[in-house]
Amino acid sequence: MRQSIVPPYLLRQLASSADPAMARAAAAAQSSLARDDSFRSVRWGPGVDHTAAPTARARAIEPPVRTIFDAENTETLPGTTVRSEGDADTGDISVTEAHDGFGFTHALFAEAFGRASIDDDNLPLLGTVHYGEDYDNAFWDGQRMVFGDGDGTVFTRFTASLSVIGHELAHGVTQYTANLAYEGQSGALNESVSDVFGALVEQHSRGQSAADASWLIGEGLFTDRVQGDALRSMKAPGTAYDDDMLGKDPQPDSMDGYVDTTDDNGGVHLNSGIPNRAFYLTAVAIGGNAWEAAGQIWYDTLTGGDIAPTCDFATFATLTADAASLRYGDGSAEHTAVVEAWQTVGVTESATMAG
Amino acid sequence: MRIQVVRSGGIAGLKREWNVDVDAQEDCDDWHRLIDELPWNPPVASAPQPDRYVYRITMSRRLITLREGDLTGPWRQLVDRVRRVAD
Repeated sequence: MRQSIVPPYLLRQLASSADPAMARAAAAAQSSLARDDSFRSVRWGPGVDHTAAPTARARAIEPPVRTIFDAENTETLPGTTVRSEGDADTGDISVTEAHDGFGFTHALFAEAFGRASIDDDNLPLLGTVHYGEDYDNAFWDGQRMVFGDGDGTVFTRFTASLSVIGHELAHGVTQYTANLAYEGQSGALNESVSDVFGALVEQHSRGQSAADASWLIGEGLFTDRVQGDALRSMKAPGTAYDDDMLGKDPQPDSMDGYVDTTDDNGGVHLNSGIPNRAFYLTAVAIGGNAWEAAGQIWYDTLTGGDIAPTCDFATFATLTADAASLRYGDGSAEHTAVVEAWQTVGVTESATMAG
Repeated sequence: MRIQVVRSGGIAGLKREWNVDVDAQEDCDDWHRLIDELPWNPPVASAPQPDRYVYRITMSRRLITLREGDLTGPWRQLVDRVRRVAD
């Protein structure tokens, strides 16, 4: 077992959580605080101090520095500052969810991967809420995360889902690392990486294992009028919703259903279902918590330096298998899980990969 | 003349489509004034931003694809108007 490297500020935040979904994490944090209440600076811990790091270095991970802005239903960015780090809750649920969600996302990257914020250099986290009128979207503009309120008919506010907040912040991590081009297969990988880390933020914050997790992205964003659970399912792409207004979830779950289109930068939100399912299959095959081995393999791949901005699915499959082999050993359970997952979704062929 | 607006992308990846028959509109002349102002060769497209919308607009055998950040001026007015009438 790896030693806990949870910083005290996070333990305190977790220990004081009143959210029932957080009960397990809160209990664990309380017990950890009781053991050690002295300050521990977070450094590259066991399991994250070699291979993947381009240059050896020990950098303290600072607590998150979050600023939330309010666009007041205009499209002007960044908007007015409404909550800075250390400020009290404003009572605006969107502001609270963005602030807390940034904290949980920062915690995943710090604790699981030893990463200091988006840029691994303690970059402040900026977010704007109440963007636009009836705006059914959230996005990363290169500097900040932006969230709409939804139209109230199909969508509620986009901060309501922690996986969506994690998804947006992960776009920032990708921008500072592999910088996957937002088009075609590399764009679908960019999207998938955001879904992977978005799902992991949610699982990590709830102390949920791969077997227990929903693997849904954007759960709770639809209003009650919509027949659907979420925007996407990583476990079963194409099954997240089936609704009169919206139609059926169009995501493919394997290369057999790969969508050729010029819309959405080459279907980046559609074909991401294929690598999403590969990650899910890897995580459940390995077992335990997805952010540990499976998340580490994907993180190593994203940050390892061998990945090109134009990386395609097949190359990404090879790079994840290489990362698993490097960290856990050639032929290890982790390595085998990765290889078989990409075969199942049809990105690689059994004959050539099953050595 | 028909105008079709197809919006794709966004974090939800949901495709939406709106259509308007301009000549069937009471304020048809006003629509045509706006259409005459449309810059079909806008400046260099902005870099794609993750999860932003992409708009594909077609009319009279002409087609233009604009990223959300480039949907400004007369193009923005047109899309807002098409959505308002089609909704």
